[in-house]
Amino acid sequence: MEVFVSYLGWVSVAVFLFMAVYRVIQYSSLPLFLRWELYPVPTEPRHHYGGSYMEEVDYVKKPRHHQRIGGLLDMASEVFLLKKVKEHNRFGMWPFSFSMHWGIYLFFLWILLLLVETLFKLEFLVPLTNVCGVIALFIGAFGSLGLFLKRIGNDKLSLYTTPDDYFNLLFLMAIFGTGIISWSTVDPGFLYTRALINQVIFFESPPVALPFWVWLNLLLFELFLIYMPFSKLFHYVAKYFTFDKIFWDDAFKIKDSPADKQCVKQLGYVVTWSGPHIVPGKTWLDEAQIIEGGDSK
Amino acid sequence: MNHKGISFNDMARLTDEPLFKLQVENLMHVPYLGEEPPVKPPPDKWLEKYDLSLDWHSPVALPLPKTEEEKLRLVKGFLNGLQKLFDPQNNWTFLKILRLTTDYCMRCQTCSEACHVYMASGQNEYYRPTFRAEILRRLYKKFFTPSGKLLGSLVGADIDLNYKMAIRLMESAYRCNVCRRCAQVCPVGVDNALISREIRKVFSQELGIAPKELYEKGTRQHLKIGSSTGMSVAGFHEAIEFIEDEIGEKTGKSIKIPIDKKGADILLIHNAGEYLSWPENPGAFAVLFDAAGINYTLSSEPVGYDGVNYGLFCDDVELARIGLQHVMIAKKLGVKKIVVGECGHATKTLCVITDRVFPGDLSTSEIPRESCFPLFWEIVKSGVVKLDPSRNNFPTTLHDSCNIVRLMGVVKPQRHVLRAISPQFREMVPNGPYNYCCGGGSGFAIMNELNFPQWRKKVSERMKTKQILEAFKDVLDPSIEKCVIAACSNCKGAMRDLIGHYGLWDKYRITYTGLVELIVNAMVDLPKPYFEMEFISGE
Repeated sequence: MEVFVSYLGWVSVAVFLFMAVYRVIQYSSLPLFLRWELYPVPTEPRHHYGGSYMEEVDYVKKPRHHQRIGGLLDMASEVFLLKKVKEHNRFGMWPFSFSMHWGIYLFFLWILLLLVETLFKLEFLVPLTNVCGVIALFIGAFGSLGLFLKRIGNDKLSLYTTPDDYFNLLFLMAIFGTGIISWSTVDPGFLYTRALINQVIFFESPPVALPFWVWLNLLLFELFLIYMPFSKLFHYVAKYFTFDKIFWDDAFKIKDSPADKQCVKQLGYVVTWSGPHIVPGKTWLDEAQIIEGGDSK
Repeated sequence: MNHKGISFNDMARLTDEPLFKLQVENLMHVPYLGEEPPVKPPPDKWLEKYDLSLDWHSPVALPLPKTEEEKLRLVKGFLNGLQKLFDPQNNWTFLKILRLTTDYCMRCQTCSEACHVYMASGQNEYYRPTFRAEILRRLYKKFFTPSGKLLGSLVGADIDLNYKMAIRLMESAYRCNVCRRCAQVCPVGVDNALISREIRKVFSQELGIAPKELYEKGTRQHLKIGSSTGMSVAGFHEAIEFIEDEIGEKTGKSIKIPIDKKGADILLIHNAGEYLSWPENPGAFAVLFDAAGINYTLSSEPVGYDGVNYGLFCDDVELARIGLQHVMIAKKLGVKKIVVGECGHATKTLCVITDRVFPGDLSTSEIPRESCFPLFWEIVKSGVVKLDPSRNNFPTTLHDSCNIVRLMGVVKPQRHVLRAISPQFREMVPNGPYNYCCGGGSGFAIMNELNFPQWRKKVSERMKTKQILEAFKDVLDPSIEKCVIAACSNCKGAMRDLIGHYGLWDKYRITYTGLVELIVNAMVDLPKPYFEMEFISGE
């Protein structure tokens, strides 16, 4: 089984990276949309009160100031603190969601530290790696279990929660849970885990058979890597598009700019909507110039 | 409301009975309001003729389908439209936002309490901002995704689609003001308000079904006659003459409002509803711009004298058609820019939404479009017009138009103006980009079919009523006259509605006006007040 885990480790990373890139390309290649910004826009210098450059007379003639750092800070507060969930969620989800997210972040960091340790023989990292792993397992398990119970126990939340939402939480619980069992029963110093990581990287068989819980934990994590880009758990990348590319995309269009050229291209798309006011077979540009199109509805 | 036992498939119930009936005792408590009129049930003749099966109200007034063919046409049309909604050629305008919203809602309900409709209704589950969005999400999954087809209810593809589901879903999309306050608090950046608009679009663009004030009397009338109000070119000229006379009477000034002046600096476009319902508003613009020496013009071309664009609320094709006319007229006049009068959706549509609809020479860089608020502040700040704030010495508060503030980031200019001309100005809470919609947004203020005005007054305008009363809680004494500043036509319509319905003028002497009227009211060279503290009901 360890050999399978070893091969799957490489496969899972490859699938994860491939699918992540594929998803990014997939969303990036969707058409340029109509401006749909939402204030406050943190990349605006006036974002502290929700203002924009459009507060100025003749804004088109004035230089624009774009604060990249504002966007990064805002995104960081969402990713690391789950600020909006904390401030606006009335179901008490924040402590659990915060724990689960940090459990995932630290789990990834733990795996990364194990890889770095193993690759570069950096033994001084061992205490940090071990603490990181234990914290990740416990807060991750606490968070995912808490969210699972919240969703199942509250009729307003359960109405919206689908079986795949529960599955996602159960999957995470299984990863953190098997990790806790492994750590608390057979692998308190993560020595077996390190041996398994060594095997994944170098395909070197460990000197002794690895305990069931150790390879099960890593196997589940590898499966999770494969599954994640196909699921809603991929929302960490979606956020880049929803915030940075939609809500904060407040630039007005300049003649002959790439956006202008893209608009020209898209205005050439053919409209096939069937409403009575729409003349079939016309492009968007043609449709926009029709005044008398259609009958009464 | 008891949430237990509610399911999305309630919307597919094959009955003409509503899913629930609004009752005042279930609605959000509004302090200082006292007793309010009860909810009147619809008359039997409406129930026999129209589909009121969501909540006993309807702005669409869709006749009950009689035959199986009619029912099937509705379902098929809805499914065709849903498919086109996710097609890049047919919905390039909003596809990326829609896809991300459909794919990544975490169903955490963080957005719910940001919604004034949901809160005002007493947290009615059917009005939760995620309820209709979740149905659309699941329907799309069920019919158009491999996971939905393969795994069915395991991935939430479990919605029954029949004609009742289609009708109730459409009605439900008209219980959202599309103010996007829910999107503002979403941790993932999902925009469930957009889903309301996209559902409306399916019905308008595919089936030709929309509230008549938005389509038949809205965009169609606008494009064919020249204005959604039905005002012809001759009617526009008459309105201008009337306003010039009114200005003379009120101010003693003889002002000729410039029309079709080629090469003016600014093309000023008003919501034509102002000419008919609040002519003192374009009148005040004329007085202020004349005093400030602004080189501007109005247009008398059809469409050009009405800044509204009801395509924004449900139809991208109509949106593009009307927007294009506005920009083409500006180009023909050779103006340097367009300034939009006090109308929130018209401002956002011209300045932001249609920015990517017009190519080349019609780009914003070539024909800039702006809100009137920054210009107001430039005028006030410059001192070119002498103003005396003591002429506005009564309590005022500002209602922010979502379109101008949350969706354009124009927050401070109007506040700077108010602080300069209104000594008793106070903010309502929340305000600025976090404001609550007036309840008239996305066309609600003009949608008066059947008993929809009752729903609007009781539910969507309820939160604003609460905010206004709380803003004035220390001066509620009816001997003190107070004013809500609503610098947007639709918002003013909502103010007129809620002040009348809840008796705020009679009980507390609360009325409303636009911003420019208050600026002109403070002009020192006017012999008498321009703004009269009164309330005229719209009913």
